Amino acid sequence: MATVSKAAGTDPRRSRRTRPQSPPSRARRGSGRRRRSPLSPRVWLPTVVAVALVGAAWSWVAAGNPYILPELGEVGRTLASDPTLFVENAWSTLQIALLGVAWGAGTAFVLALLMSEIPVLRRAIMPLAVVLNVTPVVALAPALVVAFGFGMTPKVVVTAIVTFFPVLINVTTGLRSVSGPVLHVFRTLHASRLEVLLKLRLPTSLPYALAALRVVLPLSIVGAVVAEFVAAGSSSGLGTMIRNSAANAQLPHVYAAVACLATMGVLMLALTTLLERRLLFWHESQQRNPS
Amino acid sequence: MSRERIEVRGLTKTYEGGDPRRPTLDRIDLDVPRGHFVSLIGPSGCGKSTLVRVVAGLEDYDEGSVRIFDSTPRQMCAAKAVGFVPQSPALLPWLNVRRNITLPARVNRRAGKGSENPDALLRMVGLDDAARKYPHELSGGMRQRVAIARAFGTRPDLLLMDEPFSALDEFTREALQWHLLGLWERMSTTVLFVTHSVREAVTLSDEIVVMSARPGRVHEVIPVDLPRPRGDEVTGPRGRALEDRVRASLRGAWESGAAPDDLIPL
Ligand SMILES: Nc1ncnc2c1ncn2[C@@H]1O[C@H](COP(=O)(O)OP(=O)(O)OP(=O)(O)O)[C@@H](O)[C@H]1O
Ligand SMILES: [Mg+2]
Repeated sequence: MATVSKAAGTDPRRSRRTRPQSPPSRARRGSGRRRRSPLSPRVWLPTVVAVALVGAAWSWVAAGNPYILPELGEVGRTLASDPTLFVENAWSTLQIALLGVAWGAGTAFVLALLMSEIPVLRRAIMPLAVVLNVTPVVALAPALVVAFGFGMTPKVVVTAIVTFFPVLINVTTGLRSVSGPVLHVFRTLHASRLEVLLKLRLPTSLPYALAALRVVLPLSIVGAVVAEFVAAGSSSGLGTMIRNSAANAQLPHVYAAVACLATMGVLMLALTTLLERRLLFWHESQQRNPS
Repeated sequence: MSRERIEVRGLTKTYEGGDPRRPTLDRIDLDVPRGHFVSLIGPSGCGKSTLVRVVAGLEDYDEGSVRIFDSTPRQMCAAKAVGFVPQSPALLPWLNVRRNITLPARVNRRAGKGSENPDALLRMVGLDDAARKYPHELSGGMRQRVAIARAFGTRPDLLLMDEPFSALDEFTREALQWHLLGLWERMSTTVLFVTHSVREAVTLSDEIVVMSARPGRVHEVIPVDLPRPRGDEVTGPRGRALEDRVRASLRGAWESGAAPDDLIPL
């Protein structure tokens, strides 16, 4: 495969080998390594120290230069003064992000399936997908607004385009990474193409699909915010809020919105992690002691 | 033509890009009577895996013919009459042991072939306790036992095994050989078994086919006239004499073949 992309590097097998939780296995009991409690200071202390240091540095800069960074307390007060405003705008952005992922990832998944079954399609679609991927979406966004009007549609389209390619590449790779011996077993049983697809290729591609999701969910927020930036008439969403507040030099508002976006991103990652634990309990990425 | 044997006649195959003057398989003739256990042994690269894949219908060939009980390999597969055990266990990691073993029963239902009771199979390979476990919770030897049980799952007429035990330690290996012999005797399947171990070939087989490399040919077919069920004779003087005979034949095969590619100095 000649195409290289950010997502092509997300090999699900290499992700997070040392994650703290996974179903208990016999191998671990005898390993002699004791599991650390999450309450042990050795687990949480480094994070707490790092956060405290960054917070202190922030406050130190903010104290002297209110136009570079707002005081953290100020950001907190802004959030607390009108929580519904932030929740509503966050919801607006989240809707765009999720709809965009649904369309982008959904289309990519279906196309990847079709391409794996019909080689001609692969040669037809892949170059187009690559061109779409290297085109900066920010540059495309104003044109999309012209084309699709000022509603949600252009923003969803921008987000869909951003999330499309990583899923396409990863799922394509996943569907093709079936091991030779297993395929031989299926072929000596004379399994039909559909059986090979459903019972072998799709489950094999699942770790790849989820690895793509891990990249694409945070990316969808970026897509939604960028779309809100460029869609001139947009009246809601955190992106719109950031643009308008920045224009009025309301830094606390900007950073309050940024904090909301970061929270959304963290929640999305947590969701993917949950999904991975549920669906990939059998996969190497979920084992603590890979042999 | 016979319904009672596998007949390979003049089988010649060169891989794409290979040298046609030194085919991977060169005019292979092979006869395996129904119900026999036949081992293939020979230097690395002599085409054992290729031959097994051709017989399994997984690979095309250039000349000659392959008839399995008067059917083509493809017809045999369509009827789910072939079991295949690759070198790696090739289990599906998202299915537990029991579901892995019943996989053959769940694909290609058109063949209308009955299948072995999975619990009985699990008992025969000594894995009844592990039925609900997933492959990542098993040792290498247990995984290979699952693969063998899976291959027996369709009650195949022909079982093809490509070095199924080569990744295992010697003790596990010997234990699995007895498991395999037990299953084979009970199911009266025909087995074509690739191995690198002379001892293993003598322990298991009715005939040992010694192959030579570059081009891949049948060098000699050595019958193993030890009584069954196999036991102490294998390690006794008769077994050792047979081992020596196979080793000598292998040496001959080695010398008759052209220099292996990997030994040609650059
Ligand atoms: N898919 C392939 N494409 C091209 N050449 C191949 C392919 N598979 C095998 N060969 C060549 O065919 C020859 C026989 O290979 P094969 O794997 O059948 O040998 P083997 O007897 O099984 O060896 P080993 O004991 O090491 O497993 C080798 O020279 C190998 O390089
Ligand atoms: Mg081989």
